[in-house]
Amino acid sequence: MPSSFLALTSFKDKYSTSPSSFQVSSGREVMENSVSLQESSLAPSNGTLGNSSLSPSIVTDHMCASALPHVQHSHNPAFISQSSRDLASLLPLDASFSQSTASLIHTQGNKDVSWSLDRLQMFLDFPENTPAPNQLVESSTSVLASEDHNKKTNWQEWADDLINVVDPDWSKILDNTNVLNPRVELPKPSGDISKQQPQFHQNQLVPHGEFSSHAYPSSTAPPTKPRMRWTPELHEAFLEAVNQLGGSERATPKGILKLMNVEGLTIYHVKSHLQKYRTARYMPETSEGTSEKRITSIEEMKSIDLKTSIGITEALRLQVEVQKQLHEQLEIQRNLQLRIEEQGRYLQMMFEKQKKVEDEKGGAPSSASDDLLAPLPGSKHPPCNNGKSDSEALEQDHSRTGIGPGNAGTNEDKSSSGVSTKQKMPETESTVHDESGFSVSKRARTEK
Amino acid sequence: MKFGKRLKQQIEESLPAWRDKFLSYKELKKLVRQISSAESCVEYGKADAEAEFVHLLNNEIDKFNVFFMEQEEDFIIRHKELQQRIKRVIETWGPNGTKPSEAEYKDEMAKIRKDIVNFHGEMVLLVNYSNINYTGLAKILKKYDKRTGGLLRLPFIQKVLQQPFFITDLVSKLVKECENIIDEVFPVEQEDEEEIVKEQREAITVAGKGIFRNTVAALLSMQEIRRGSSTYGHFSLPPMDLPDSDLIHSFQLNSPIPIV
Repeated sequence: MPSSFLALTSFKDKYSTSPSSFQVSSGREVMENSVSLQESSLAPSNGTLGNSSLSPSIVTDHMCASALPHVQHSHNPAFISQSSRDLASLLPLDASFSQSTASLIHTQGNKDVSWSLDRLQMFLDFPENTPAPNQLVESSTSVLASEDHNKKTNWQEWADDLINVVDPDWSKILDNTNVLNPRVELPKPSGDISKQQPQFHQNQLVPHGEFSSHAYPSSTAPPTKPRMRWTPELHEAFLEAVNQLGGSERATPKGILKLMNVEGLTIYHVKSHLQKYRTARYMPETSEGTSEKRITSIEEMKSIDLKTSIGITEALRLQVEVQKQLHEQLEIQRNLQLRIEEQGRYLQMMFEKQKKVEDEKGGAPSSASDDLLAPLPGSKHPPCNNGKSDSEALEQDHSRTGIGPGNAGTNEDKSSSGVSTKQKMPETESTVHDESGFSVSKRARTEK
Repeated sequence: MKFGKRLKQQIEESLPAWRDKFLSYKELKKLVRQISSAESCVEYGKADAEAEFVHLLNNEIDKFNVFFMEQEEDFIIRHKELQQRIKRVIETWGPNGTKPSEAEYKDEMAKIRKDIVNFHGEMVLLVNYSNINYTGLAKILKKYDKRTGGLLRLPFIQKVLQQPFFITDLVSKLVKECENIIDEVFPVEQEDEEEIVKEQREAITVAGKGIFRNTVAALLSMQEIRRGSSTYGHFSLPPMDLPDSDLIHSFQLNSPIPIV
């Protein structure tokens, strides 16, 4: 019977189209109506928002959560390894296998982990040792991470800008969104409150780049369910409070809220968190893997059988390896994506600076820039893809502002995506120029 | 359409509760097509269409944020509970516990191991969720700009980068902590090579199960998406370097044969 499992049948695509729940409103009129509705609804609520005072960092409040009691017991290393050996009962099977298997195993490394008391304590105490909430490393966007449980949004302001714009005046909109103001985020249409959970509306002081302190909003205009972002530290404080109140069954949301004494935390947050906690606590088997619920009965039977006949340990080990790899790749990909956008932003900024310089120089923009650019020495930047003269002029703009050699060097050092970023700018700009013509004044609106 | 197909595949393979939380890529693409074909040169009309498009994108982003943070909160709780559970098992049935029992201990530890590995997988899948939605957004924005000549992409994507659903640092941290716990509590045995190879073969068959299958699919999808496209540009990601690609491909089995 085991051999039947080994049949490496090809993976058949048996999917049925998954119904998407996304409802796209048909026709513009509907959208226009909702847009105008939002306009009117936004206006009044805009006034009630913001201007809440910045409160000092909340982080410190719940740092008083006491440390987990250290696990004090010793272990017999021999006992553990014995049991794990027992777990891994294997049946020899033969199937052909690729060499990559072996390499996979070797990449796992030799984990000669001795089961010492120290290590046990270490992993149990691990969350305690994590540094204060500043999770994010990257630049100024660390605000979000440093906010333990609040979302930073500037919905209303942005939504206003966007919706009220007839002729998109991007420079106006984007004034709020320059690099120094990383906290301004996408708007959330307040008209959809009933359906969605409104975010915490961040303090309007945000646009002025004050992101050092932790700003927690006062109660927002829509009183229902503001969403909060929990952190392990906050959860620790929660647990502390719950334990003080006699456990998850006896503790009440109100009591917990009071004990935790975290500004910006509402009883709703505590209530829902408590509910989740109770679920997780009293249904450990099922809650650990929501996956468990979805395993069909057939698969369940198989898994039981596998446990006895095939190395479940090995299976799990392999699973972890794949998961680790996926995670690693995701992290790499994410970093790349961030870098790409960062670079694009940087180039755009340079471009804008250049434009301003040209503006200040005054006179006929086109002719002026052409004249200025004509005697330019060719810098070692990659050739522009499209043959439009405008874009070439822009390209030389870039080099003139010092992006050229230095940047080109760094660009070429990075992946190909880096190199071609520079080319993207002229390309995009040329698209714009097709529409609006090469005029500097109009280019103000192309601020990307 | 390659991405759209890949996305659909991933959605199908994902946990049921997640399936309607992904980006509605197809619909947005349709909208872009609609906008680009129907649009007149009138500035007003264009701005209108753009507002509509942006509105829909924002809805999507809200959807991601809500779901992501909900899951994140769950993970924080479960992560802690797992640790507590391990502690309890060791304290109770461990060799130096209150009622030492090798059988019970083994039994419980086996359960914990399975749970923790699946938990790890679920968290990784959330990170994947975040990433694939981001990728979808980036693509749809690129399409929009390309077809309508707009300049929506760059500023919009900057906003997206700051959205909670994209900032996956906490979940990644939990993933790594989980890995540490797994390594600590379930140390890998040193075995001779032949045995190991045999074990691996057997383990392949288990790949049919839920989360594992999902992660395999996700990994392969990622590789496919980044294989290089016709519209490869400077805002595109380079092809993925995935070691053990063959191994992972071999995981693509269909559902297990039922035991009769």
